[in-house]
Amino acid sequence: MTDGPLIVQSDKSILLEVDHPRGDDARRAIAPFAELERAPEHVHTYRLTSLGLWNARAAGHDAEQVVNTLIEYSRYPVPHALLIDVAETMGRYGRLTLATHPTHGLVLEASDRAVLAEVLKSKRTAGLVGERVDDQTVVVHPSERGHLKQVLVKLGWPAEDLAGYVDGEKHEIALASPTHPRTPTEEPKEWEMRPYQAQAVDGFWHGGSGVVVLPCGAGKTIVGAGAMAKSGTTTLILVTNTVSARQWRDELVRRTTLTEDEIGEYSGSRKEIKPVTIATYQVLTTKRKGVYSHLELLDARDWGLVLYDEVHLLPAPIFRMTADLQARRRLGLTATLVREDGREDEVFSLIGPKRYDAPWKDIEAQGYIAPADCVEVRLTLPEHERMVYATAEPEDKYRLAACAPGKNRVVERIVAQHPDDQVLVIGQYLDQLEELSAHLDAPLITGATTVRERQRLFEAFRSGEISRLVVSKVANFSIDLPEASVAIQVSGSFGSRQEEAQRLGRVMRPKADGRTAHFYAVVARDTVDQDFAAHRQRFLAEQGYAYRIVDAEDLDAVA
Amino acid sequence: MANTSPRGTAEADVADGAGGTGAPHTFTESIRARDDAALLALLRARPDLATPSPSTLRSLAARASSRTALERALAHADARTLQVLEAVVALAGNGPVSPDDVRHAVGADDVPAADGGAPDAGSLVERVLDDALAAALLWDAGAPGRPDLRPAPGLDDVLGPHPAGLGPSRPAERPLTSGEEVRGTLANLPRGGREVLDALAWGPPIGLVPAPGTTARDAVDALVDARLLLRTDARHVALPRDVGLALRGGRTHRSAEVAPPRPEGRAVPQEAADAEAASAALELVRRVDLLVAAWDDTAPPVLRSGGLGVRDLRRTAQALGSDEADAAFVVELAAAAGVVADDGDAPPSYRPTTVADAWEAMDDADRWALLASAWAGSRRTPWLVGSRDEKGNLRAPLSGDLHRGWVPRLRRHVLQVLAAQPGTALDVAAVMAVLRWHAPRTVPPEQAVEGLLAEAGLLGVTGAGALSAPGTAVLAHLSDAGPAGLAEAMRAALPPEVDEVLLQGDLTGIVPGRPSQALATLLDRSADVESRGAATTVRFSPASVTRALDHGTTADELLDALAQRSRVPVPQPLEYLVRDTARRHESLRVGSAGSYVRAADPTVLAGLAVDPRLAHLGLVRLAPTVLAASVPAAELHAALRERGLLSAVEGPDGRVLSTRMRRPPRLDRAGRDARRRPAAEPEPTTDDARAHLVARLRAADAGDETAVDRLAGAHRARPSSGTNGTGTNGAGTTRANGSRGTTTPGRALTPEPGDALATLHDALRDGRLVWIEMVGASGTLERRALKPLRLDGGRLRALDPAREAELTVAVHRIASVEPADG
Repeated sequence: MTDGPLIVQSDKSILLEVDHPRGDDARRAIAPFAELERAPEHVHTYRLTSLGLWNARAAGHDAEQVVNTLIEYSRYPVPHALLIDVAETMGRYGRLTLATHPTHGLVLEASDRAVLAEVLKSKRTAGLVGERVDDQTVVVHPSERGHLKQVLVKLGWPAEDLAGYVDGEKHEIALASPTHPRTPTEEPKEWEMRPYQAQAVDGFWHGGSGVVVLPCGAGKTIVGAGAMAKSGTTTLILVTNTVSARQWRDELVRRTTLTEDEIGEYSGSRKEIKPVTIATYQVLTTKRKGVYSHLELLDARDWGLVLYDEVHLLPAPIFRMTADLQARRRLGLTATLVREDGREDEVFSLIGPKRYDAPWKDIEAQGYIAPADCVEVRLTLPEHERMVYATAEPEDKYRLAACAPGKNRVVERIVAQHPDDQVLVIGQYLDQLEELSAHLDAPLITGATTVRERQRLFEAFRSGEISRLVVSKVANFSIDLPEASVAIQVSGSFGSRQEEAQRLGRVMRPKADGRTAHFYAVVARDTVDQDFAAHRQRFLAEQGYAYRIVDAEDLDAVA
Repeated sequence: MANTSPRGTAEADVADGAGGTGAPHTFTESIRARDDAALLALLRARPDLATPSPSTLRSLAARASSRTALERALAHADARTLQVLEAVVALAGNGPVSPDDVRHAVGADDVPAADGGAPDAGSLVERVLDDALAAALLWDAGAPGRPDLRPAPGLDDVLGPHPAGLGPSRPAERPLTSGEEVRGTLANLPRGGREVLDALAWGPPIGLVPAPGTTARDAVDALVDARLLLRTDARHVALPRDVGLALRGGRTHRSAEVAPPRPEGRAVPQEAADAEAASAALELVRRVDLLVAAWDDTAPPVLRSGGLGVRDLRRTAQALGSDEADAAFVVELAAAAGVVADDGDAPPSYRPTTVADAWEAMDDADRWALLASAWAGSRRTPWLVGSRDEKGNLRAPLSGDLHRGWVPRLRRHVLQVLAAQPGTALDVAAVMAVLRWHAPRTVPPEQAVEGLLAEAGLLGVTGAGALSAPGTAVLAHLSDAGPAGLAEAMRAALPPEVDEVLLQGDLTGIVPGRPSQALATLLDRSADVESRGAATTVRFSPASVTRALDHGTTADELLDALAQRSRVPVPQPLEYLVRDTARRHESLRVGSAGSYVRAADPTVLAGLAVDPRLAHLGLVRLAPTVLAASVPAAELHAALRERGLLSAVEGPDGRVLSTRMRRPPRLDRAGRDARRRPAAEPEPTTDDARAHLVARLRAADAGDETAVDRLAGAHRARPSSGTNGTGTNGAGTTRANGSRGTTTPGRALTPEPGDALATLHDALRDGRLVWIEMVGASGTLERRALKPLRLDGGRLRALDPAREAELTVAVHRIASVEPADG
């Protein structure tokens, strides 16, 4: 028995004692194959999953390494069945490979005949493969490359895709330093990729295709730009919405040799196809008369690289389209591989294995994102409101609790405590937001706000012209508010994990002066609002953020 | 088929008891020529020969060569011994057989010398020969220095018509061709002849005669003419033994099975095995805990036919969080350890016993030791639960149906197989292969081996499939039945206790090891377990904190207790949770009352609560207009009326009832079943008793008459007891039996009168098989394995599974009863 920092449980969870002298070494050693599930202050919980182990295999780690790591750092003997399972699971990756055959084109090759026989016997592979070349090789229809990979992951025999990629149309792209200013007030400044960003680009490039996982605010756009520069080809960028598309464009013009003329926007309002085209998920998934009407975009040019922003939000139709894009290099960018719909395996099979991952806390410790202080403010409802709440229909309860009038005063007090900060108020219900907007004398951004107005307000907020902004859930995704240092959440949609990560992302962009960011959630006591807050508390605490609960009456004590 | 084996001469051998000097001429003579030590060794090797005790050495010899005795001796012979015996049988009748011949015949010469000082194959064969001679399976007809090994009469019969796959010997009237001649003929075989002979060479040695006119038929005919094949009947030919031996190059076996096989298995480091065993043990102990809790709540009823019903098993499995097979094992084990038992009420149900109280005070290692020693002695077969018996009924856990006498012996054998290959995980097939080598003639059912291996895994006797250190202690416990330090062995394997919990902001706590009992109690009460294993992860929630508050702990006490066991201060969210839950916990109060008084005017009630004359009513003021009383409404009403107040009794609305149930009392059946000795085999008879028997036999041999007389006397005692038997007393019979056997060794021979009935009753209760010796219609003793069904009115109704028939026996005809131990 060694005195290691890990405890490996037979349910495949791994507990890591953070303060252990060898805790950091252990964390680095298990990061490639174990997925971080919870990272509270003392003991982090990792989990071994098939996908995680296959990701590790794809990154060149073998079972022996994994087993040795577990044994080396484990405090107690590692459950034997688990070690066997690790070896077995990892052994499954790469028994099948997709390769290019000199005469037959795309083929599926097996190093183990029995495995090939097993997968070919399955009904799911019927129609995806052609004739047998020999007993270890079978022809694959090039159009089914993605589907086959999806099916093989489901069957538990993930194929390694070594068939290579088309080169794509050449287009010179290079990173530019100093930056190209986008507004007259902006000064050009010297910059270079942060070490972890460079590592992420390299990791992706060596792997061919795959996903880079970086926390919000860690500069995913720059990783994308780096990958484009490395590729030097025409690029299709898929993003969540139009605002995000414009931000990508600005950032690319600012930091690369690309000019505005070389970048096209393909969205609901504009249909430009340029060497670098930025398209929204929405336009691609729009159906007219039952067919996707914008699929031609995918074949409009000989794309050398396809970039997916926010992979965890990738809608199902895009997966289907991606299945047909397997011959092109694909880079997925995301803050989290966790998908609310549990389709992590499709990301794995269609976009590719995880190529780079850095835990939030590590990057935060390196000073690139601001540490955040999370405070839950519990508001006791006055008696008459409690009576209304107690007798309300169940479907109205959340709305009643979330929109408690008392919250306005609490928000005001919090805002008053942060006179010098850029404050963002986030909520779900428009009535409530309008009221708050009036109370705080702050502009309101909702889904109804035009893109132009939105950008104007964001710019004003960014430049410090206005210091308070009230936003609805449209703000959740992919907008960039670099200077927000306080976020106040008054209502939210049932405490989903994703939403939480996004909201925290809002305030965790690097601050110029390294101030602590604050995240407040205002919650009505003894209501369903509080129950949802419990999910949030758990999520944030699991992410390792300091989390406190204070009563609204004691708010003054919190600075 | 011509079989000229010396069966025909065997009886002559036995009958011919003429003594002589020098080499013995017959088997009987060889027995009589043994010295006392050799006789003692024989009785030790084959204890059944002394039961019932033979009167003379001649009858001892007859018994030793009887089919039953030989079958019994061979039943537990290993593959090595059987090979050697087969070789001797095959070689006998062809000149003197020396140990060297046997060694060559079984192929022991080819076995490479084992390293590490293990005995080589040749000396192993010699040792087997010595043992077989000592056990009178073989005898030596040669003069000293010139051994001539012969099989005991009847051995060839028991080994079957084709020992080692060799054909019949050549009929005596057609004299043997010499070895030279056979080899010469083999050199010039007719066309196709070689193929025919090769096909028969390694057995089976009987072939079908091909259809006439074919070339194969010509070849066979030519071989028959050349006397290399024998026509046994119109359609078959046999390869004579001498030709077979010649074809095999003088060998009887292709390869010598001198040592038990060592099947391939996964290597498991001892440390890993022990760690897995420890976690299995903790899990099992926890499951028994859950079982006690579940059955405390609702005691499942005993089925009319005995055992636990299907639905109750399913419910129990749910409570244990396991599948039904594992639940059946836990239930059986808990019953074997006496933690739960049939309460014997009407209607009966299964309940935790007072052992469960003791259990709660024990630590994990002691609890495990209790379970492990119960397992070691258990004759139960929980793996049969869910299968159907001969009558098509489902076998239920805890029913008598699951009793099998041979379980402890098989358990020991299985563990011995594992112990022979330490640090190796063996699967069922591997264990079966080894068991098959040890007793090829009585291979245990694979299902039982599989069941026992699974049980061993659940119990932590094995870890990751290999025998663990605690498992080794269990094996020692099984082998010499002494206190083997089970608890100590497990204690050493268990991870050290930890008395510290790491509290975190996400409301989890982590115990980085095995929680100490105090810590486990605290966390059990105040948090929910999320993950178990080397470490325990718990989560605090409003529900779990409420549980702690329900136990009477206050928020401050709980926080203090947690802070004491935590290296870090209690995180703010946890503290907030505890305080917030406590705040709400007290917002609603529940109490119990027998009745109440209410009045519209508070002043009416004001005086009542403090009135000393009404003190016995236990009046408590709940609100200005409501008083609660501890007495029933009728009594309160009467008391108030007596006091002169015009009270009225209200309807039942608003009456508060106590919801807290008292735990039902536990049975006092302290480990009744657990106290059973683990060893299931008859107790070994002492060498003193054996020596006594040998002396008696020697004396009888000198003057046969007295012994015969004495035996006859014993027999005369039996009918007399039969005639005086009035009704239910089998006592006379058994007493006669007892008097006959007072001086003989062997437990089964001398049952006390009460024992026979008690054994019957036990068997009846457990639904076990028993061996019953009874006086048949012709006055002879019959020994049958029966399953008693009913015993009353001096009659026993029983099922004979072998004949699939029921029979009724008068008790006074039963001579002896012994448990069928396998």
